[in-house]
Amino acid sequence: MRSIPVRRNTLVLGATLLILAIFAWAGWANWEYRRQEAERLLAGVGQGELVPAPGGGTPQYVSPLNGKPAPAFELKDLSGNKVTLESYRGKAVLINFWATWCGPCRIETPWIVELRNKYAAQGFEVLGVDTEGDDLQKNDTAGWAKAAAAAGKFVAEEKVPYPVLLDGDSISRDYGGLDDLPTSFFVDRKGVVVAAQVGLTSESDIESKIEKALKQ
Amino acid sequence: MRFLKGVFIATIAALAAGVVAAHGQGLGSNTQSRPLLKTDAVRYLFPEQVSVPVGKPSQVALHFRIAQGLHINSHTPTDDFLIPTEFSIPEGSGVRLDAATYPAGTVMTLPIDPTTKLSVYTGEFIIQARIVAAAGNHLVQGKLHYQACDQNQCMPPKTITVAIDVIGK
Repeated sequence: MRSIPVRRNTLVLGATLLILAIFAWAGWANWEYRRQEAERLLAGVGQGELVPAPGGGTPQYVSPLNGKPAPAFELKDLSGNKVTLESYRGKAVLINFWATWCGPCRIETPWIVELRNKYAAQGFEVLGVDTEGDDLQKNDTAGWAKAAAAAGKFVAEEKVPYPVLLDGDSISRDYGGLDDLPTSFFVDRKGVVVAAQVGLTSESDIESKIEKALKQ
Repeated sequence: MRFLKGVFIATIAALAAGVVAAHGQGLGSNTQSRPLLKTDAVRYLFPEQVSVPVGKPSQVALHFRIAQGLHINSHTPTDDFLIPTEFSIPEGSGVRLDAATYPAGTVMTLPIDPTTKLSVYTGEFIIQARIVAAAGNHLVQGKLHYQACDQNQCMPPKTITVAIDVIGK
């Protein structure tokens, strides 16, 4: 008869441990599901997020590409020459996505030209990637010619010294979708993205990211 | 025995509370992600249906709303490189767009470039469309082409569908 309370105690303890184990498993499964879901979203959409800068300054764009190799591409420049990102390995590169209809892009272009000229001797180059033809079909020859002419006119007006590449939309998916312009990626000498920015910030902000790309 | 029962109940209650709290926190963090990207800069509001006399030019006021914090170029932007807002009706709809009258744009400057004046629409705006309809019921898929920006960035040009049920009587 004395053994009955001991059995009950054992049963209660066993039940408690079982329930604890079930809760622990459920918690782990929930955490794992959320982690996989977050990874799937980031991989599928590839878009970054704005995070507040320390001290309330310009929000910083955190791209999923940060710390990863910049996606390779081959595009034609305004003269029809093929340009690859790979051919700039060993240099720090600013990949600047823009369009002539984008007012903020036109504001930042003179800053980028100035910074390119300032840092070129240290091994820095800019690749301007025009996304003019966002809504053009591949076979729309007249449309593409018009887009190239608009880009060429702006490049001449601003005395842009760096290569400006056409059909940027063909590589936009690899760079996160580019829902907003301007969007810039700062790539170090080894071809790794060290910083990114969406939207107009300031010349000093761009310069600090160029310096970061040159130092890496 | 009572002590063990107490431990058992307290453990269950604490774990349940913890799970509920963690679940709530998880939902909260999901809702505040991706603050930057906007998808629907412009929404067509109304009318959804109009009745017009057959073959006679008729005015229809089309109401649109632009998302807060964004602007789109007016129909007559200040520079030729800017993309104007334009409304159109595809051919073969049973309804022809005879003319469209657009509101004047509001003059706007960006804080970072106060010398450049822009002509834009913000908030709600109305396009007066003069249409000519054939007899019958036509589900018109009008198109509004626009390009939206906020003060620091721009979205690619976009065309949205303006669905109107036009009844020609």
